[in-house]
Amino acid sequence: MARTLAMFTDTSLCIGCRACQVACKQWNELGMEQPEWTGTYQNHAHFTDSTFRLVRFMEAPGASPSGDLAWLLMSDVCKHCADAGCLDACPTGAIYRTEFGTVNINQDTCNGCRYCVSSCPFGVVSFNEHTGTARKCTFCNDRIHNGLGPACAKACPTESIQFGFRDELVSKAGKRVETLKAMGFKDAQLYGADQKGFLGGLNAFFLLLAKPSTYNLPENPKVPQRNVVVDSLLSIGSAVLVGLGALLAFRDRGRGDGGGHA
Amino acid sequence: MLKTPDWGMMIVLYFFFGGIAGGAYFTAAIADNVGGPRSSRVALVGYLLSLPLVALCGLLLIADLGVPTRFLNMMRTLKFWDPMSLGAWAVGVFGLFSFVSSVMCFGPFEHMARLRRRIGLIGMLFGFFLASYTGVLLSATAQPFWSEGRLMGALFLASGASTGMAAVSLILALTGGGSNPGLAKVKHADRYSMIIELVVLALFLALLGSAARPIVSGHFAPLFWGGLVALGLVVPLVLDFVGHGRKALGALAAVLVLVGGFILRYVIVMSIQS
Repeated sequence: MARTLAMFTDTSLCIGCRACQVACKQWNELGMEQPEWTGTYQNHAHFTDSTFRLVRFMEAPGASPSGDLAWLLMSDVCKHCADAGCLDACPTGAIYRTEFGTVNINQDTCNGCRYCVSSCPFGVVSFNEHTGTARKCTFCNDRIHNGLGPACAKACPTESIQFGFRDELVSKAGKRVETLKAMGFKDAQLYGADQKGFLGGLNAFFLLLAKPSTYNLPENPKVPQRNVVVDSLLSIGSAVLVGLGALLAFRDRGRGDGGGHA
Repeated sequence: MLKTPDWGMMIVLYFFFGGIAGGAYFTAAIADNVGGPRSSRVALVGYLLSLPLVALCGLLLIADLGVPTRFLNMMRTLKFWDPMSLGAWAVGVFGLFSFVSSVMCFGPFEHMARLRRRIGLIGMLFGFFLASYTGVLLSATAQPFWSEGRLMGALFLASGASTGMAAVSLILALTGGGSNPGLAKVKHADRYSMIIELVVLALFLALLGSAARPIVSGHFAPLFWGGLVALGLVVPLVLDFVGHGRKALGALAAVLVLVGGFILRYVIVMSIQS
């Protein structure tokens, strides 16, 4: 396996220009969509089957260093989780991990069962009615296999989105958090950088200026498949009870000599 | 922020018919193995009912896909930790058992009853799987309502068993003339299943806690409390105890159990998707 690649999105540098969103649409030839009025500059409200990069605009009271209203910007994307719920859910093997550690959906194999859509802890994977398949950010699979970075990272004018080897980006990100803390952003933190943390670490990780919940991110996302063993055992327990009930009901009392067994 | 899969009526019906097919087959296998000759009609009806239902299940699953022609892609892998993958295989394997057991009830195979009983015992395990894995499938998602009560699979299994028995008893009541000792036994077994289902449902709601809101309050609540709990579980149980032996009441109870089984899947699948 090649060295793991990653995208580091430093939200403190984002100016909300949405060049990443446009570059993503252009490179991946994603279709036009009806705009959605969200009450902010944000469009769309969520990831769609044709929006893989999405700049979120958040107004968070009390989240600025001076305690005032903070206007937070974040260019969101598929996290390419190390423990990916969508990948584990996929029954066709269409969702696979590349040699760079990214997660991709093979559009020629996916048959549109949509189980991955409900298994993503971040609501990233979306179903496309026209192709009948599940779609999401590919980490610009074609570009990274030809020595280019993802289109969004290439287009970003402030280096808010950085692309590179994961280990190098993580140490860079750690230093950036220290700098921001010294500048007074006391809630500055990394999200998904720790490989011992949730989901085995995210290969697209973030630097946030406030708590994850302020960005509508789950504080501690879990792998959905964690429930399978316990739930299966409890189902077997239920099967045993139902089976015993049926045995009791169907046991043929007329058989045998009537004595012997108590 | 979470996305739901937009599973609609086809998946609800699949969950419902899959439960009945698994439950009917399991009832047939038990009747075949321990019921003696007086339960032979139960075994026949149960095996024969499971076959068209599991075929329908397969068709519903394929029709619901985004690209139905690619349904065989499900057979490219087998993931032991993935209910969707195991389930796709189980529908096929259970269908095979259902077919063999049904065929072996007739003509030249009748003298191979011992073999049929053995096959029934193994097929029964796949029947249980088909009835319950759909619940485990829902619980292995990121949706809190689907994933936070640990008993979704157990609940679907108990419901599958009771709806399977209700369907068998209904067919026996409608086709058999006079008194049928097998019918009484199915009714008896269904009573146990319904009591288990009620207990599991109570535990399930307790485990879910506030995550149960989509069905216990909100606009799916009347359907859940009135349609499933009252009409689908409590009333049939009371009818079975009070109207002892009366055929019309027994048939009514069976219909109510079936309606309740459908409502259970409907409210669970649809309440967080609409």
